[in-house]
Formats: sequence, structure tokens, C-alpha cells
Amino acid sequence: MRRLKMSWLLTALLVALALVAAGCGGDDGEESGGKKGTPVTGGGKVAEGKQGGDVTFLAAGDIDYADPGQTYYTFGFMVAGATHKTLYSFSPESPEKAIPDLAEGEPEISDDNKSVTVTLRKGVKFSPPVNREVQAKDVKYAFERSFTANVPSGYATSYFSELEGAPTEPGKYQEIPGLVVDPADPYKLTLKLTKPVAPRVVAAMVMPITAPVPQEYAEKFDKKSPSTYDQYVVATGPYMIKNDAEGKLVGRKPGKRVEMIRNPNWKKDAIDDFRPAFLNSITIEEGNDDLTVASRRTLRGQQLMCCDAGQPPIPILRQALTKFKDQLGRTSGGGTRWIAMNSTEKPFDDVNVRKAVIAGFDRDSLRLTRGGAEVGPIANHWLPPGIPGHDESGGLEGDPKFDFMKNPKGDLALAAEYFKKAGFKSGKYEGKEKILTIATNADPGKQTAAVAQAQFEKLGFKLNFRSVPQDTLYTKFCGVPKAKVVICPNVGWFKDFTDPESMLQPTFSGDAIKEQGNVNWTQLKVPEIDQAMRDGALIPVGDERNQKWAEINKMIVDQAPGIPFSWDDSFSLVSKDLKGVINVYSTTWDLSFTSLK
Amino acid sequence: MLPYIARRLLWSVFLLLVITFLTYLIFYKLPSADPALLRAGRQPTPELVASIRETLGLDKPWYTQYFLYMQKLVLHFDFGESFQNNVKVRDELFDRLPATMSLALGGAVVWLVAGIGIGIISAVFRGTLLDRFAMTGALIAISAPVYWLGLVSIYLFSRDLGVIAPIFDATGLYIPPQENPIQWADKLLLPWLVLATAYAAVYARFLRSNLVEVLGEDYIRTARAKGLGERRVIFRHGVRSAVTPIVTLFGIDIGVLFGGAILTETVFNIPGVGRLAFDSIQKSDLPIVQGTVLIASLAIVLANLVVDIAYAFIDPRVRY
Repeated sequence: MRRLKMSWLLTALLVALALVAAGCGGDDGEESGGKKGTPVTGGGKVAEGKQGGDVTFLAAGDIDYADPGQTYYTFGFMVAGATHKTLYSFSPESPEKAIPDLAEGEPEISDDNKSVTVTLRKGVKFSPPVNREVQAKDVKYAFERSFTANVPSGYATSYFSELEGAPTEPGKYQEIPGLVVDPADPYKLTLKLTKPVAPRVVAAMVMPITAPVPQEYAEKFDKKSPSTYDQYVVATGPYMIKNDAEGKLVGRKPGKRVEMIRNPNWKKDAIDDFRPAFLNSITIEEGNDDLTVASRRTLRGQQLMCCDAGQPPIPILRQALTKFKDQLGRTSGGGTRWIAMNSTEKPFDDVNVRKAVIAGFDRDSLRLTRGGAEVGPIANHWLPPGIPGHDESGGLEGDPKFDFMKNPKGDLALAAEYFKKAGFKSGKYEGKEKILTIATNADPGKQTAAVAQAQFEKLGFKLNFRSVPQDTLYTKFCGVPKAKVVICPNVGWFKDFTDPESMLQPTFSGDAIKEQGNVNWTQLKVPEIDQAMRDGALIPVGDERNQKWAEINKMIVDQAPGIPFSWDDSFSLVSKDLKGVINVYSTTWDLSFTSLK
Repeated sequence: MLPYIARRLLWSVFLLLVITFLTYLIFYKLPSADPALLRAGRQPTPELVASIRETLGLDKPWYTQYFLYMQKLVLHFDFGESFQNNVKVRDELFDRLPATMSLALGGAVVWLVAGIGIGIISAVFRGTLLDRFAMTGALIAISAPVYWLGLVSIYLFSRDLGVIAPIFDATGLYIPPQENPIQWADKLLLPWLVLATAYAAVYARFLRSNLVEVLGEDYIRTARAKGLGERRVIFRHGVRSAVTPIVTLFGIDIGVLFGGAILTETVFNIPGVGRLAFDSIQKSDLPIVQGTVLIASLAIVLANLVVDIAYAFIDPRVRY
């Protein structure tokens, strides 16, 4: 009897503990006024704010690099946006069109599209210890160093390989003849190209590779293999990572924190910078692996921002969408998520099988694993909202002629028709082989993969399903054609800049297929599409280009290489006392516009 | 005793060599991410990947890499550089060790005081309600996973999120003791309690069972018969004997924790060796993985040696 009482006591204690734990999120504050999260929390004008204040950004991971020549991920871009002036930038006030930043005005493009000339703004200075004015030679060196083996840029050879005399493979430092500083004007730089691709090169000038690097200071670091400039970076933006007299970044402790303070050499009025730079300092506090804790701290705390990992956990996000609208920043993620079906492997080498799968798939269930309708629309093609060519591709709904894309809940009757066309009389897949499927082992991708597995099995497929860490998935399996992975349920591509070519060429061109690091996961190789892409690359920015790339997009949809399921938005949180401003380009907080309320 | 220590140290060096070798073998033979591709960005050219591979030394066979690594380690005490951000692994480890040691030592004080105290009380008051209550509590504490306990304690007791008693400053950046000792202790108090909970429970149960056994021994009865006070009997004759196995346990536990309390460090965002190990495994950053494994192994090996030496002082029957 005593034992029974003790067990009841224990049970009651555990239940009480569980209830308390579950109730932690219950009293989260009162309902706020906005309809839903926007790029500016609480509404109001983008460029208005209170001067001063110190803010902490709660992040799970570290920035990839502080070196503008090497950074290539959203979080790194966020820091680069506050610490460097690239030739052109997207301001939160001008989310649709890049505006001159380090450049004085619009680029001059030659009639044959084979040359671009940019004149730099005068008076922009490097932060200590360099302290001198930026000139065109610094942008020239920034480009040149990014083609060396010691500064492995992830995209220099993708977007700037047409520079005349640019090395075809990374090696020792060498001058690039296609980068010409005007002898009469040290602020004028001309990029000479081997192909008429100036429009694409101009579009890519928003990337951090165009941030100036002072050669006389950086080359001693760049001579090391790999370059150590990452630990000695100097800034040209309103903020700099705290450094010592030698330039060593004492404010950056990988995995711990990044401390950004005001750049004393940045004078807003003198250089007519569009950035208001309200805050005095921003400290990125890393290691907040539990984003639920970090999100809650942000929502309840003061002078806090969150999160680096794309979006807060889904339960917190749902809560924020209803209760904390004024603390939620939201913008289009600028990318598409899909399930890749390897078009070179059986059974997906048959386009009718691929179409059958898309027709029969419940894509709404897939989207639910990312947060459901609240977090963004179901993807119906490969150009997400905000990317030129999206509207011309049929907008959110896509082109109605693609019947297999029409019903996001899945249409088993239509799927059966396509299976029959592929020779499966039962209207389902009849093969007995086990299809190699490699999925991520971390949420929410793990959940997406689980739903995908059930859907494939419903259509008659038998999967050899394996889960691995996300990085292993890309570098050892889905990104390596030799691995012969047939289904990759967790792939996606997000913009480098707002141009349709940068969305479609790497992911669906046969020319882009590589032995490793391959991102054409479906291994689609259709000569007509590849030629159309080559032609499309030469069309200048504008309606004609958008129309052309929309047509290419439709050609890809018609090939049904994968199952697109989400164009999810990107979400970020700030505490009540902050006015957060999202940068639509980097899809995260713009540290130069965010301010105290 | 000196020859014994020398023998043990030599054996430890051999053990560490085996561990480094196994770490290399596991890294290269099991499917992990490719560090060169991770570093190369989203759409690298084959030339770029090859260049990075060469820069990081990954183009050589794994056993050559291992030899070069050991050469640098033995001759220069150089642990190499991180694959991800080029920082010196040695600097990174020494930068992280103080946080881990702060957590481990503070936690150890809490669990020793609590565990030994509860163990003695339970043994002395064996069979009473107090004993049952303490041992049930210990069972619950052992059963609670540390990450769960950590998260629940943050939601209940941390200053910025706590809904019951927001009294601990448990979240935010770790502050080194030399910077501000009060804030250092304030930030670590809840992690110490969470880390110590399960250990204290194990120690309490272990000590109780030992002490109950010892208190039934003939020499204890003799001591009582000679008229010694109960306190003297328990502490001088009972606890001293019962606590000896606890020393072994403590040595292993503290050694393991010096190698990094991964879960506690992760939940409370303490930038220690454990979290470094966790992050580096995620990023396939072999030099850092290797460094953290070495530190952990070294800590366990040294802790065991210290325990063995301490035995000679605690237990007069032990001689080397």
C-alpha cells in the first residue's frame, strides 16, 4: 500500500513537471497589431530609427568567413552587408533593384555586352589599421585574389570566369588583364569580358567579392596557404569586426562570438551612404543550438535578434505569427525546395514515370513539414516569387498546361494515366527493385523525407532509404553522380542574386553537371534546354530576358525532373524594443537598418 | 612508486597514439562529409575542389596525413589548423578548456557535497521515510536525461525565461572568472546544478550501499563496543572505508568531463571543449575532432593515474 502511494506521488510529480514545462510558452505576451510579419517589424519607414544602442544576435552557428572574398552563405552575407561596401547593394528601401554602393552610379555597359565600367565613390576609407581611401585598384585586387588557390571563392569562377585572362583554375596570384584601372582616373575600373555576358556580370556585382581589399595590407596574409586575411579583414561599411592595432580580429572567436563596432572611418554624409547605421554595436552570440530557447529569449528579452538558421522552430513561428507579429520579420526566401529524381537512373529515366510521381504526390503534406501554408506557397515551378521570370512563368500557380502540377494534394487518377503511358498497366509503379534514397537525418528535412517515403510507397515504389547528416548528403551522395543516388528528398536552391539564370543554370543545365559538388541533382541533360540557357545568358536584364528564362523554366517543368513543394518565406525575430528591418537580398536582418524603438 | 608512475605514463602515451590512429581511421573509412567540398561553397569547379584538397593536405593518402599530423604533434606540439577557418587547433583548445574546467570542477563540488551527504544520511537512516525519499529522488535524477533537465530548468528558473523562479542567469555568453568572478559563478550555477544532479544521485546510491555494508562489519561493531561515539564510528571508520570506491568513480567522471560535457555545454551555450567537439563533428573538421579527442583521452588517462596514486594514501593496504 505504501509503495502504491509512493508511485502515485511520483506520477503526480512527473505530471506536474511536464505540465509546467508545457506551460512555459503559455504566457507569451499580448496580441500585437500587425496583420503578419513584414520586412519591417511594426511597420513604419525603413530608414527611420533611434540612434545608438547595443544589440545581441542569438545564432546557432558561426559565419562561414569574415573575408568578403570567401563568404558565400546567408549569415556571412549579413555580416558582410554591414561591414563592407560592395559595388552595388540591395537596400531594404530598394529591394527590387540594386543601387550603387561603393560605385558612384550605374555601370556603363558596352553595346556588345563585353565590357562594364564602374566608377567608384570618392571618400570611402578602409577601417583601421589601413585608414586610406578606397580606389579602383582595391576592387581589382579583390577580384584577382579570389581566383587564387589561397582564397578559394565559391563563385568567382561561376559568375566572373568570362573576365579576359582570368585563370581557369586556382593557382598563384596573378594580375587579370581583363580588369583595367583607368590610368587617368584611379576610381574607374573596367571589366573586359570574353563573352557578351555583361548583364549577368553586372547582376553579380552585388556579391561580396566586389568589396575592396587593400593589396599592400592583405597580400602578406594572402600569401599563406590558405589565406589568413579572414582573421585580419578591414572594413569599408559602417561597422567593423573589433580588431587590434595590427588588424587582428580580436572580436571574432569562431563558434563563440562576433563583435561588431562602429567603423570610425565611415562617414555617412561624406560618402552619401544609404545605410543609416543606427546601432552602436552588434554582438553575434553563437552556440545557441537550441533555437527554441533562443527564439523565446528574443521574444521576451531586450535588444535581441534571432536566428541564423533560416527560421525559428515551427511551433515558435506559429506562435509568433499570431501573437508576436510586431517582432517577426518576413520576406520571400528566394528559393525552391524539391525532391530530386535522378533522370539518368531507372525508373526515373522515363519522363512519364516522373510526371506520374508528381501528379500523385501530396505536395501539401510535404510543405506541412516546413510549417504549412503559413510559411509560404507550394512551389509549382522553379522560379520563386521575387525572382524575375516568376510572373512570366505563371506566378504562384504556374502554367495551367502542366496537368501533373495542378493538384498539390495529389491526383492518383492522373498519376495512373501517366504510369500507364510508361507501361505500367496497373496504374502504379510495378518494379521490384529497391530505389536508393538518401535523406538528411535532421529536422525538418527528416520529416519531409519521411513523408516523401510514404508517398513513394503509396505509388508502388520500394525504397532503400538511408539517412545521413546534411553535409554528408551533399558532399558524398546527392552531389556525386557516381554515387548513383536515385532520390534525394532534401534539396533546394536559393538565390545568389535576383536573376533567373543563377537559379536555373546551376541546377538544371547539363553543362553544370560535375563529378563532385554537383548541384544539378536530377542530372537533367536536355540539349534544347542547355542551348536555350546559353542563349538566355546573353540577353540583357529586362522583359526579354525574363520572358526567355520563363520559357526555359517551363521547358524544365515539362521534363518533371523533381517534385517542387515549397517556396517558404524566411523569418527572423527581434525583441519588443527593437525595430527590425529585413534585407530582402540576404533574407535576414539588415544590421545597418535595424534600430532601437 | 616512481617506476610505477613512469610505466603508467609510457602506457598512456601508447594509448593516446592508438586513439589518434583510430580517430583517423574512423574519419576516413566511415561516410562523413568531404571537408574540401564543404569549404568550396555551393557550386565549386573541380579545379577549386582539387586546389582546396591540396591546400588542406587532403590529397595525400590518409596514412600519410596521419604520419604528418603525428610528426607535427610530437615534434612541435602542433595540433594543426581547422579545416573550416584556419584557426590553430591548439589555441582553440586552450581557449575552450577554462570553460569546460569551470563547469566540471564546479559541478564536481556540488555532486560530491550532495551525493556524499545524501548517501551518508540514507545509510544511517536506512529504511526510514527519509531514506526512501532520498533514494527515490536519486532514481528520478538518474533517469532524467541531462539535456531534458537542462531545458526544463532553463524554462523554470532562468532569469529571462523562467516561469517559476527566475533566479539564475543561465543563458547568454560565458564570462571567464578573471573577468568577473561573481558573474562567472552566477552564469554557471544552474549548469552546475543540472550537471551535478545525475552524478550526485549515482554517488548517493553508491555510497549508501557501500556504507550500509561497511556499517555491518565486525570492526564497526568492535568500535561501538569499545565505546566510541556514533559520529566517530560513522565518519572515522565507516565513511573512510566506504568512500574508497567513490574515488575511482570520481577520477573517471572528472576525466570524462574535462574532455567536455557536451550536452550541458550545448544546452547552456557554454563554449567549452565538448561543444567544440560537437560542432567540429558536424562540420567534419578532422583536426579539431582529433584535438578534442586527444584532450578527452588525456584527461581520462591522467585522472585515472591520479586516482591510482591517491589510492595509496587513502587505503594503507595499497602499495605500488
